[in-house]
Amino acid sequence: MEGHHGMLNAPTGSGKTYALLIPILLQFIQENPEDYTEKTGNGLQAIWITPIRALAKEIQSAAQRAIEGLGLSWEVAIRSGDTSSSERAKQKRKPPEILVTTPESLHLLLASKGYPKYFKHLKSVIIDEWHELMGSKRGVQMELALSRLKVICPGLRVWGISATIGNLDEALHALLGNSYETGHYKLIQSSIHKKIEVRSILPDEVEQLPWAGHLGIKLLEKIVPIVQQSRSTLIFTNTRAQCEIWYQQLLEAAPDLAGIMAMHHGSIARDLRDWVENALHEEVLKAVVCTSSLDLGVDFRPVETIIQIGSPKGVSRFIQRAGRSGHQPGALSRIYFVPTHALELLEAAALRQAIDEQQLESRVPFIRSFDVLVQYLITLAVSDGFREQEIYEEVRSTFCYNSISRKEWKWLLAFITDGGSSLSAYDEYKKVERAGDFYQVTSRRIATRHRLQMGTIVSESNLTVKYVSGGRIGTIEEWFIAQLKPGDTFWFAGRSLELVRMKGMMVQVRKSKKKTGKIPSWQGGRMPLSSNLTHYLRLKMRELRNGTGEEIELKALEPIAELQRNRSHIPGDDEFLIEYFKSREGYHLVFYPFEGRFVHEGLGSLFAYRISQLTPISFSIAMNDYGFELLSDVEIPIEAALEQDLFSTQHLYRDIQASINEAELAKRRFRDIASIAGLIFKGFPGKEKKDRHLQSSSQLFFEVFTDYEPDNLLLQQAHEEVMIFQLEEIRMREALGRIQQQKVRLSYPSKATPFSFPIIVDRLRGRLTSEKLEDRIKKMKLQLVR
Amino acid sequence: MHQIKLCQQTFYLHPFHAIYWEEQQMLLLADLHLGKAAHFRKGGFPVPATAGDSNWDRLQTLLFDIKPARVLFLGDLFHSEYNPVWEELGDLIQQFKEISFELVPGNHDILEDPYYQAAGLYLHPLTLEIPPFYLTHHPQDEIPEGLYNLCGHIHPSVKLRGGARQSLRLPCFYFGEQQGILPAFGAFTGTANIAVRAGDRVFVIASNEVVEVS
Repeated sequence: MEGHHGMLNAPTGSGKTYALLIPILLQFIQENPEDYTEKTGNGLQAIWITPIRALAKEIQSAAQRAIEGLGLSWEVAIRSGDTSSSERAKQKRKPPEILVTTPESLHLLLASKGYPKYFKHLKSVIIDEWHELMGSKRGVQMELALSRLKVICPGLRVWGISATIGNLDEALHALLGNSYETGHYKLIQSSIHKKIEVRSILPDEVEQLPWAGHLGIKLLEKIVPIVQQSRSTLIFTNTRAQCEIWYQQLLEAAPDLAGIMAMHHGSIARDLRDWVENALHEEVLKAVVCTSSLDLGVDFRPVETIIQIGSPKGVSRFIQRAGRSGHQPGALSRIYFVPTHALELLEAAALRQAIDEQQLESRVPFIRSFDVLVQYLITLAVSDGFREQEIYEEVRSTFCYNSISRKEWKWLLAFITDGGSSLSAYDEYKKVERAGDFYQVTSRRIATRHRLQMGTIVSESNLTVKYVSGGRIGTIEEWFIAQLKPGDTFWFAGRSLELVRMKGMMVQVRKSKKKTGKIPSWQGGRMPLSSNLTHYLRLKMRELRNGTGEEIELKALEPIAELQRNRSHIPGDDEFLIEYFKSREGYHLVFYPFEGRFVHEGLGSLFAYRISQLTPISFSIAMNDYGFELLSDVEIPIEAALEQDLFSTQHLYRDIQASINEAELAKRRFRDIASIAGLIFKGFPGKEKKDRHLQSSSQLFFEVFTDYEPDNLLLQQAHEEVMIFQLEEIRMREALGRIQQQKVRLSYPSKATPFSFPIIVDRLRGRLTSEKLEDRIKKMKLQLVR
Repeated sequence: MHQIKLCQQTFYLHPFHAIYWEEQQMLLLADLHLGKAAHFRKGGFPVPATAGDSNWDRLQTLLFDIKPARVLFLGDLFHSEYNPVWEELGDLIQQFKEISFELVPGNHDILEDPYYQAAGLYLHPLTLEIPPFYLTHHPQDEIPEGLYNLCGHIHPSVKLRGGARQSLRLPCFYFGEQQGILPAFGAFTGTANIAVRAGDRVFVIASNEVVEVS
């Protein structure tokens, strides 16, 4: 580590925690050769950033072992959202030598008065699981904090720890910002390679597999013996609802698992999750049904068997999960894949080949996230205030804001001081105050509110589920509880619960003996198939078409392939399949680019828009990773659209803009942006009545900005994020380029095909219309209750 | 405008989210939330200062076109505590001296009485009876025998469904068996879906038209 920044890339269980801790301690010994064993109260020497609080304890004990081993008298403390205010005050009075914390808590330190003094002795910052942080706005938070710390702590060394991803160099660049350009850094990569075996669980008859669905419960009986024969098993599901359902079904199928099986997902209360993590670690538990909430902390809790229910959607995620079994160096990691519908077998085959060829995904770092910057500037204004020129230089030194212009910067400063356009003479906007080039928040009320609302993880408006007798179980979304009456039973966190009453934002429950009850689901984005995987998916499709596949999954799929051939067609490399058919629901037009759901969402809106320019028509749009559907109540002029060059890349940007404005993708993106930038008031704990007069929704802000302030950078950010992360314009262009080279194969099946079925039954839909509102209303009906 | 009969009286539903009661020459408006943008800005939330401007344009247009004798605000006229936007309301009332401006207060109307007097606004109690109507801000659970409740507060909208899994959500006028709810007049106020039962009448507002749906 001597004098350098850098990044350590190593697989699980290779002792990377010590690899970075020991040099920090050794340096201190070198600098204090005489009295290093006794010296206490040395000030904060190192910060260890971890993305999840649960890992903090493990880091703390590892650090303590290292300190004891070397005979130092250092203190290691944790600071996270769970840390009590008395403990925080103690850390402030007498800083520990090593602080284990999260990006959010680090920003809270930057929001406290006199922070530069607290960091005065800081020499190193270690960022654990940087690959995880980088793909989120928490990574941006980290970049900003580092830009400040590097200036107030000259000589600071920054080290990241990252799992293997497709763009390690870019990850390092994002971490180091302009320090990357100086070339004074090291990238340490280990060459250990793990062997992974993917085993698909197949039904005895492939016909038993449904054409659509996402639960996979049909294969339950095949899973039970695997769980029973293994010492410890992790069962990964893709959604929290699926997690709840699998847990319940497994218990029913194997009652002997009661008490030794647990559940883990993001809506379950932190203490319950901590308990599960510890119990798993201590091998008290035989099985845990979980979601990606257990993806992190890979190092610490090895298990014997891994089962993946449904497609993991990405190669890296699958490898990471598989890596949790077979922890001994050189051991084989085995992962069972449980398809939830027939076509997912194709994904299993694609995954296997992608793993063999080590095609790991890249994590795309966020750039120009103005929402996080607005929050950060207010954070600095809340603590000691800031000089804008100094902070401008620092902000520009980060990867995220490297391209920010002076004009944009001025806009941001105006936004936090004047609230954007303030034309009216008697405007009373108040947030950050300016004196020359110095910016500061003087209102205590605004400062407190800001500290309470900081962070970049935006949660749904959730209700807390608690026992009447006390004890938090977790959080649940309001719309789910709204369907229930007191006395109704529902399942949550693997318990049967009776709703007693609602009290503000709290749902009070008691245990129930009833076996049946509704199972909650949580809204949340569905992951798209990564572009690495879609490439292999197209390869496997070719093998399926030609009947050349050797893999067991492809052989199992043959009866379904046969049916698809009979009803319609399986496209070859040089063909683009479109199916058009009528059902009771209307006219279905289904396209199959095999590009992943995000790209399909974009292409779906684009094609719908272009067709809607030919005739007044309304579409609802559904998609999955294989294709997308345009559904209309009237005939769709597809032949005419094809003649008019539906797939053209000409005017692509313009057409995408026109289609997304209508498809409302940007509005969804804006939800997080508004929250992070502090536009949405969540109320104080113990709130006053008047606070309610400041409540609003991100949707209202989106509408007023669109109408009255279209240049607003936060609004533009929403549109940019749609283009980068959602529509992936580059991938769309590539896809259109590929389609243009292909021969269109327009097929008219008499009814739904195996390929189209999973798409047309999807209820999650986008919309696009070119009909007049009045005309649409005439064709519609009111929804009545009872 | 869309004419309807309610308890043998004639009402016109206006696409500007207003109702005109012909027999009483009364314009009914609910939930204007004037001063909301200014209130947010004072609290440090950067709503564009111009966000409420369309309220004044629509209100003036209605007053010029319809020339009512009375204007009755069904609550939530002003969004919160005093801010200078209140004076704009006073100016408007001054401009239409021949019209009587009256308020049945809602939960947001928290100003002290002198403000209403200064603005030239007549303040009713929480409920106002003009048989056969019972005019309030909050929808009433108990409605006096023989009266029909007209109210606001909800900011009602409905969801319409069409073929091919299409749906639309639009603000509306709602008339149930004993209760009618006005759409919110104010810009930047949002809507909430309401439950509609068989027999209820619903009129959605589609850009510049009021359309009955069933």
